[in-house]
Amino acid sequence: MSAQRFDTVLGLQQRRSPLAVIIKIAVYTLMVLVFAGPLIGLLIGAFSHVVDPTKFSLVPEGGFTFANFGRAGERRIWNYLFNSFVVVGFGLALQMLVSVFAAYSLARKRMRGASILMLLILATMMLPEEVIAVPLSVVLADVPPFGIVDPGMRVNLTNSYLGMILPVGAWGFSILVMTEFMKEVPIELEEAAKIDGAGDLRTFFFVILPLCRPALGVIGVFGFTMIWDQYLLPLIVAVDYTHWTLPLALRSLRGDEEVGIGVLLAGTILAVLPSILVFLAFQRQFVRGLTSGAIKG
Amino acid sequence: MPRRRFSAVPWFFLAPALILLLYFKFIPMAQGLKMSFYKVRYSGDVWVGWENYATVLTSEAFTSAIWHTVILAAGITAGSIVIGLVLALLVEGQARHLWFIRTAAFLPVVTTVAVVAEVWRIMYYPAEDGPLNSIFGWFGIGPQPFLANENSSLMSVMAMGIWKGAPYDMMIFLAGLAGVDRNLYEQAAVDGANVWKRFTQITMPALRPVFFIIFILAAIRGLRIFTEVFLATNGAPNGSTEVLMTLIYKLGFQQGELGVAAAGSIVLFAATVVLTVGVQLLRRKERDT
Amino acid sequence: MMSRRWTVAVTIALAVVVTGCSKTTPPPTNQDPGAPIEIWIRQAPESDSHKTLIKMANAFTAKTGIQTKVTAIFDGFETKLQQQGAQHALPDVVINDTAQLGNMQLQGWLREIKKSDVPGSEKITDRAWAAAQASDGKFYAMPFSAQSFLLLVRADWRKKLNLPEPKSWEELASMAKAFTDNDPDGNGKKDTYGFVIPGGTERGYMSWYASSFIWGNGGDFVAKSGEGKWQPAINNTKSVEAVSWLKDQFCAQKTVNPGAVNNNTTVTHEVFEKGQGGIYLVGPYVLARFVKSMGTDKIEAIALPKGPSASGPGTLAEGENVYLMDGSKNQAGQLKFAEFAASVEGQSIGMNKDDPGAIVRLPVNKDVDMSKVRADARWKVFQDFYNTAGVYTPSVPNWAPFRQTTADAINAVMANCGSDVRQSMDKLADQLGAELKKQNVLAS
Repeated sequence: MSAQRFDTVLGLQQRRSPLAVIIKIAVYTLMVLVFAGPLIGLLIGAFSHVVDPTKFSLVPEGGFTFANFGRAGERRIWNYLFNSFVVVGFGLALQMLVSVFAAYSLARKRMRGASILMLLILATMMLPEEVIAVPLSVVLADVPPFGIVDPGMRVNLTNSYLGMILPVGAWGFSILVMTEFMKEVPIELEEAAKIDGAGDLRTFFFVILPLCRPALGVIGVFGFTMIWDQYLLPLIVAVDYTHWTLPLALRSLRGDEEVGIGVLLAGTILAVLPSILVFLAFQRQFVRGLTSGAIKG
Repeated sequence: MPRRRFSAVPWFFLAPALILLLYFKFIPMAQGLKMSFYKVRYSGDVWVGWENYATVLTSEAFTSAIWHTVILAAGITAGSIVIGLVLALLVEGQARHLWFIRTAAFLPVVTTVAVVAEVWRIMYYPAEDGPLNSIFGWFGIGPQPFLANENSSLMSVMAMGIWKGAPYDMMIFLAGLAGVDRNLYEQAAVDGANVWKRFTQITMPALRPVFFIIFILAAIRGLRIFTEVFLATNGAPNGSTEVLMTLIYKLGFQQGELGVAAAGSIVLFAATVVLTVGVQLLRRKERDT
Repeated sequence: MMSRRWTVAVTIALAVVVTGCSKTTPPPTNQDPGAPIEIWIRQAPESDSHKTLIKMANAFTAKTGIQTKVTAIFDGFETKLQQQGAQHALPDVVINDTAQLGNMQLQGWLREIKKSDVPGSEKITDRAWAAAQASDGKFYAMPFSAQSFLLLVRADWRKKLNLPEPKSWEELASMAKAFTDNDPDGNGKKDTYGFVIPGGTERGYMSWYASSFIWGNGGDFVAKSGEGKWQPAINNTKSVEAVSWLKDQFCAQKTVNPGAVNNNTTVTHEVFEKGQGGIYLVGPYVLARFVKSMGTDKIEAIALPKGPSASGPGTLAEGENVYLMDGSKNQAGQLKFAEFAASVEGQSIGMNKDDPGAIVRLPVNKDVDMSKVRADARWKVFQDFYNTAGVYTPSVPNWAPFRQTTADAINAVMANCGSDVRQSMDKLADQLGAELKKQNVLAS
């Protein structure tokens, strides 16, 4: 007699009696309803004639309509979406470039003070926007040292895309993940390239980077979510609506005296869709990043 | 061993990261440290020494905000861990439908925080026919005020945090569970252990390091919770959900008390550092023994 | 080895601190009479009001040649302003609530305005000038717009139930009761209420709403007691009577729309439009909207009757001022804008006829002929009521915390029907006293 097989702790998959199946279905349905239900309600609500929260449900009311998006468009929702894409597009490109550059140095180049630098970079992970929000707003409005040298040369990054892009440009998490990965890339390849006469930059772009594709996926997906999720930073940087990102705009849609809740729902759907799509498309990288980043602490 | 000579190359590669971190992390940090010792005013800053810190640590607004933050962080952390673990156990396995359920349950994690707050504001609509109250009604539970009442508001924000936090923990637990040696289960079964014994004697010990990581990540996130609270209640009703970050935001950006706000931020930073380092030390000690 | 690392770390840290610490005082601003004027207004971006201001600013540019840049911010307006202050980058002109004057003046953001510097200042009503005066007696703003609160009532309901125009609180209460019980919309369902009330605590709405009743009964939040000194008055008999009357509507008569204690004005406007209630105490700024969405026959404007203990009527008056901010590169241009905004031409553009988006609700310039600009006679009711009964919020240094504290306390009374009004108001009076003390204006 062979020992019982175990794929899981509870061994739920082995139980196939009708009662067990019914209970399993009930539990799983409940799970999906609890965690995905509100989002499904959101999706349905955005396309129906909801006017107040009491009409918000999983059952569409009053038929399918695009009217909410039309109204939201009048409230400049597409401009906010555009702003969000500008920030996340350039922000992510910058962040990934900065991360692979830094990681290459930290993983490959022996240099003095590398461990201190790593420590400093790790320390910044304990320094999220929240903690430095107040002074950051002052620094952003008058980037040293220009304004101190001459008030006329003052560099003010508030109400600009740069003010939202540059601060997310260097992220400890991405640098860390990338560094750990690059340490694993066999050094022989790099040396071979050197012997062939390739310079540092060439070696980097044509030998090292292609090998890092899995890690690039991870930092890409995480970077996207991190930047898309930014709230406090754009809140500080954007002075008026011309530079609002979509998440910021939601609050004003809620407070808008002239539109109903359906328009708010249309806005929230647009704000949530990109990150969900990115997640669904890059699910594997996402889970890998989640566990590798987390397990390594 | 090649001789060490100064090379500009590594610094060239590092420069962008260092410059950005300098400008948007270290300089603001230093600026914040400086501001925390000043009464910051439009007409000119005045040195006040430790006064701002005294305000932070003694004023009623701050002590209750710190208290709320700790309750919220602890509640969200514990709730997410427990529910996340249960969820992980339920959806562990290779079957295709489990993958679907895992994905569906994971959606709150990738949902933008601002949207989470808006969705739950709607779910929590306190009228009798509000979405959640309608569901409560089916079970004969009367309408709840949720965010609108100071007795239930903090709990409601906590539930919102758990909704977003539990699936995240679930995913990490799943990764941990995948690493548990299946042979141990089989041996235990041969020895006649039931599900509970298997769980407590094999699974839990194997998940130990995972608990540490989840705990520290969740606790740090919890301490600096801002957007959820800012959008869901902004501290209302009657200050019952005021957390450290919303208070700092109000003081710094609405009441112009930038010095006190900066001091509050430094205290928050110190708490984060102490927590992180403390848990790391504990973990190291645990590993050594 | 270790110690050297630390030396490096400390050096870096010090370098950072040194670069971080430097700015202390704002640089002196050099004047440039051609510099454009940046104008901020607390209105939703792209709203009708925003467009009205742009129209006005363009007229100003056409007249003076000074360019303008109009910025509309609604959510977090004060927050943004605060941030600009911290960054020493204030806009040139801010159009904002009269109640914000103390707050802004205390922070040193405002330029003093001498009436003699502004041609046409004598045309501005005294009531409006009073709302531009800080607790030090000087003027820190140019009056721009005024409004009073009165009752918008469903004329069709009142006609159907054959009710008289209420002349006392008693009659008002019975009208509300009739609207609640007697099916004024005739759909056979008991789905209507008397009052619709934005009774939430957000931005202090409950305080805002209750103030008209408190002043309308001769009560007060804080009462003046000597020059520049105040003491709490929210627990005096008249104030308590007014709050009790309101609580009666919420709890005993149940004539208030459900959920009112959680609602802001956005929701309440909709509740009124949907016909869930028939009496809305509100400012004139929504008149055009309701007329458009509900039909002109359904709306009538009725002055809030005086309370049982009042000697005369009273209601919340507020308005907007044009504030000239510190640190402008074009101070002459600032003054010119203030002059234009209060002129007959500026005011008329701001009133925007009978259309939504009036940034001047009631004109502050005596020369403006209301009936020439607006055809809707209901505006006149608001104007008259403002002139005879308007009460501005007390000119304590900073009214904002008072509004929030009173909103929280009064909201709690309405939300919790078991509460004791007297006790709650006594407790509130203590809180108001503490705030007065904090602002150094508590009468001893």
